Amino acid sequence: MSVATFETMGTVVSIRGAGPSAAAKARRVFAGYDHRYSLYDPSSVLSRIARGDLRLTDAPQDVRDVYALALEWRDRTGGAFTPHRPDGVVDLSGVVKALAIRDAGALLDDGSQDWLLNAGGDVLARGRHRGVAPWSVGVVDPARREVVVGVVALKEPRRAVATSGTAERGEHVWRRAGLTFVQATVVADDIVTADVLATAIVAGDADDLRQITTDGSIDVLAFDVDGVVWASPRAERMVQSSATVNPAW
Amino acid sequence: MRARVVAGGIVSSAAILVIGWQIGAQPELTASPQQATTSDGSSSGSGSAGTSTGGSGTTGGSSTGSPSGGTGTSAGGSGSVKDGTFAGQTAQTQYGPVQVQITVSGGKLIDVAALQLTNDGGRSVQISQQAAPVLRQEALQAQSAKVQAVSGATYTSEGYVTSLQSALDQAGL
Repeated sequence: MSVATFETMGTVVSIRGAGPSAAAKARRVFAGYDHRYSLYDPSSVLSRIARGDLRLTDAPQDVRDVYALALEWRDRTGGAFTPHRPDGVVDLSGVVKALAIRDAGALLDDGSQDWLLNAGGDVLARGRHRGVAPWSVGVVDPARREVVVGVVALKEPRRAVATSGTAERGEHVWRRAGLTFVQATVVADDIVTADVLATAIVAGDADDLRQITTDGSIDVLAFDVDGVVWASPRAERMVQSSATVNPAW
Repeated sequence: MRARVVAGGIVSSAAILVIGWQIGAQPELTASPQQATTSDGSSSGSGSAGTSTGGSGTTGGSSTGSPSGGTGTSAGGSGSVKDGTFAGQTAQTQYGPVQVQITVSGGKLIDVAALQLTNDGGRSVQISQQAAPVLRQEALQAQSAKVQAVSGATYTSEGYVTSLQSALDQAGL
């Protein structure tokens, strides 16, 4: 199968089921968000805000809208997810990558019924693998990144998978509780929900996890500091190794 | 014995050598030419994620705002996976240069081997028997799960190069 890859936002995007021009369009979507929101790019709007050269209230509408979205999620997660870094800088990277995936996905929908986009481990898919079987996403062991410990078979409407964790260099999670979960994978109907809640779980504790999974609208596989795998009821069957499973509900 | 104990820097968590591919570049071949994976269309040298030296999370200069080039496609064609043995980029480790080789057959990743290049006329020799089987088994575990993508903590561009996702992408699985 043809796979297009490109580097963006400090990671790599892999796209299956799209031709080169669709992949190029997707790349431009990511570049646009990166240019706006990257705190590693001193010329981005967010960097200018961080430096104090621009007030958030004077920022372009789309930036203020993304900030508002992040604040909504802060409220919904009881503060476990937040765009406010401990040093006071507004950091929207927790939603921006997901928004880029979402928008790129909308473009891919124009040209294809079956595609999968993986941006550094956050996955959004449409249709089926080779038009036949569900797209399958392997969840890696946080201690051994080459080992798959669970497989998510994506079936509509659950088409998004996001994982947050501390195992890779560059991940930043501002924890407001003691470290409970080193990695959390969330399967949801949309990628922003999956991404934000995965971050919220790693930033939070067991009570946050229970609260987040209460309404059954997402599936979760989380690894705690002792190596125990926590699985929401539907996610239990995703686990396929000898990892200890704690169905703590 | 676990690979980490035997081979130290080669299989440290930062440099798991399941693969060592450079994005957008033509992989070196050890199989006959018609079994090559080709990079269709727009690949260019600037897509070299594998050689990124930026700090964690740094966005590469070549990717911000540049609309052209740097997008690689691999395992081209209308959907079939090419069989054969493919060798990737050489990675420098504390044990010397190591190159990773994958074998695809019948659309499946059936072997992964880490080759340690010697200075002896460039002959490739497999690194210790104790290290290689672990790599093979662990990469194959992913294949037996038949996944097309892996999800873990976000890999950086540099991390991608040694990730399972990169192996899956290059093999067109």
